[in-house]
Amino acid sequence: MDEKMSIMIVDDEMIVRESLYHWFKKYGHVVETASSGHEALEKLEKLPFEVLFVDIKMPVMDGIELLGKVKEEYPDTIVIIITAYGSIHTAVKAMKMGASDYLLKPFEPDQLSLVLEKIANQRKLTAEYQYIKGRLEAITRFDNIIGESPAMQAIFDLIPEVAHSDSSVMIMGETGTGKELVAKAIHARSPRSKGPFIAINCGAIPDTLLESELFGHQKGAFTGAVHTRKGFLEVVTGGTLFLDEIGEISPRMQIDLLRVLEDKKVTRVGEREPIDLDFRLISATRRDLEKEVIAGTFREDFFYRINVITLHVPPLRKRKGDIPLLVQHFLNKYSHETTKQVDHVRRDAMEVLKRYDWPGNVRELENAIERAVVLSRSRTLGIEDFSFLRPSRTQLPGPRSLRETERDHIQHILEECDWNVTGAAKILKINRVTLHKMIKRYNLQRPQ
Amino acid sequence: MVPFGEVSEIVLKVIAAHILGYFNLDADILPRIERPAYAYDVNRQQYNAATILKALGSMPFHDYVKVIGLLEVDLFVPIFTHVFGEAKQGGKYALVSLYRLRRNSDGSTPPESLLLERAAKVALHELGHLFNLLHCMDRRCLMYFSGGLQELDEMPFYFCRYCSKYLGDSLRSHGINPTPTK
Repeated sequence: MDEKMSIMIVDDEMIVRESLYHWFKKYGHVVETASSGHEALEKLEKLPFEVLFVDIKMPVMDGIELLGKVKEEYPDTIVIIITAYGSIHTAVKAMKMGASDYLLKPFEPDQLSLVLEKIANQRKLTAEYQYIKGRLEAITRFDNIIGESPAMQAIFDLIPEVAHSDSSVMIMGETGTGKELVAKAIHARSPRSKGPFIAINCGAIPDTLLESELFGHQKGAFTGAVHTRKGFLEVVTGGTLFLDEIGEISPRMQIDLLRVLEDKKVTRVGEREPIDLDFRLISATRRDLEKEVIAGTFREDFFYRINVITLHVPPLRKRKGDIPLLVQHFLNKYSHETTKQVDHVRRDAMEVLKRYDWPGNVRELENAIERAVVLSRSRTLGIEDFSFLRPSRTQLPGPRSLRETERDHIQHILEECDWNVTGAAKILKINRVTLHKMIKRYNLQRPQ
Repeated sequence: MVPFGEVSEIVLKVIAAHILGYFNLDADILPRIERPAYAYDVNRQQYNAATILKALGSMPFHDYVKVIGLLEVDLFVPIFTHVFGEAKQGGKYALVSLYRLRRNSDGSTPPESLLLERAAKVALHELGHLFNLLHCMDRRCLMYFSGGLQELDEMPFYFCRYCSKYLGDSLRSHGINPTPTK
């Protein structure tokens, strides 16, 4: 064997545990023992073991039951069954349940060596498989966008198609759903992939600064313009410009951008000669811009210019089947980054994660896993590691009063509208004054 | 070295010479002690190596760094059908059984020289464990685990360069000046 393994011996007979312990130690393996199935499961929760040697005949939890539990919770763990009471029937059952091999006590020392050699070969093959699988995933996946739900598969199918056109793309989706990742994936697969990808969060920059950032300025154009500065529209030439939270830009900026998109030219602030532009625009919003167009708060001509192709990124609560996959992805990521060996989420904890509504979507899930990994003292995350999650509306227990339902619904709509009272009042079909009264009555507060 | 019951004098001397040659350690041959009837397992008709090692541990061998017990009886540990020898990794006591070394796999008797060779190899291997050497993957190394006589016979008297290095370090940590292995 080229590498040392971590082995746990599970047997109620101390003499067997000791014999095997000393035997494996002679190979330099990391060895642990457990005198019962329960003790083995407790130790497995704290530390990963690659190989378990399990005696079939044990009180309370026998080897077959332990094998079942181990294979359910830790399917990659190799289990070798040992017994003095072996029969073909038990052996077949154990092998069907996923045991890798079967040894009858007492066995020739050579037999044990052969089993260890087989395990070493199996590990080598598994490692090679994982490496090739990882390489394949790196080639085929869309950056960090993870999902096998039909909704995400539809997006994966659309990305290559959208990438090869040069039309403007609008990505709609709630905050934290991964809109920028989708934009990056489109850019990466587009003929412009060798050009720059510049992302600007329009909601985070004041209007005047945004103008300067996008259009650039000539030296001396305004107080403080001590150098001539190229705008992002110029810098992004040959690449993709991603404008996040485009619903936040002012009507004036909408007009300026509309002109740029139509003419494909830009004039720096303080300059007369226009410069030719060559970029592809991808924008994103969490707001329902169609409604805002109807309401007259967003320019219709600009909306249709930036919205040639629309992609909807579903919120996490509408693709809960992807949660285990995402959890595993973030566990791998943060176990690697923090060098903490946390690689498992208990089934009941996973149920909690699946039940939770994730108002902050994938970003919130990622933060939750990162926090849990950093604070965990075990290799397995349990319910207690996620106690910081806010109880979701769907998790609230029992029959609820009309008043409670009304309060939660108003809060939900307010959050959907980012606490824009006018917008929320429109959706709720009540006037703003009434909504303000209700906010006061229910003591609703915008989260910090 | 402690013979349990009747053990051939020449075997003891040959092992002592090999220990001196490979470990640069003087090996005293101590007076024989009784065959360990207390370790006999009636069902298996063998002697339990773990029980004998435990008994050795309770005997006064304060003047010795390591102790090897030699026996003519068949040894076992509970999980294995038999063992040629047994030692706890990094421990003080080891056992070597000549029982299975005295007959070939086909039932024939080996020449005396081959028996001596086998006994010396098993003793050096077990003593290696006492000095914390692990099983080695090199089939030509004395620390390679040989479960059968054929493998034992094919193995030369040789510690691979890694095991030689570890052995040298271990001996030095015990205050023993190692000689180059042959």
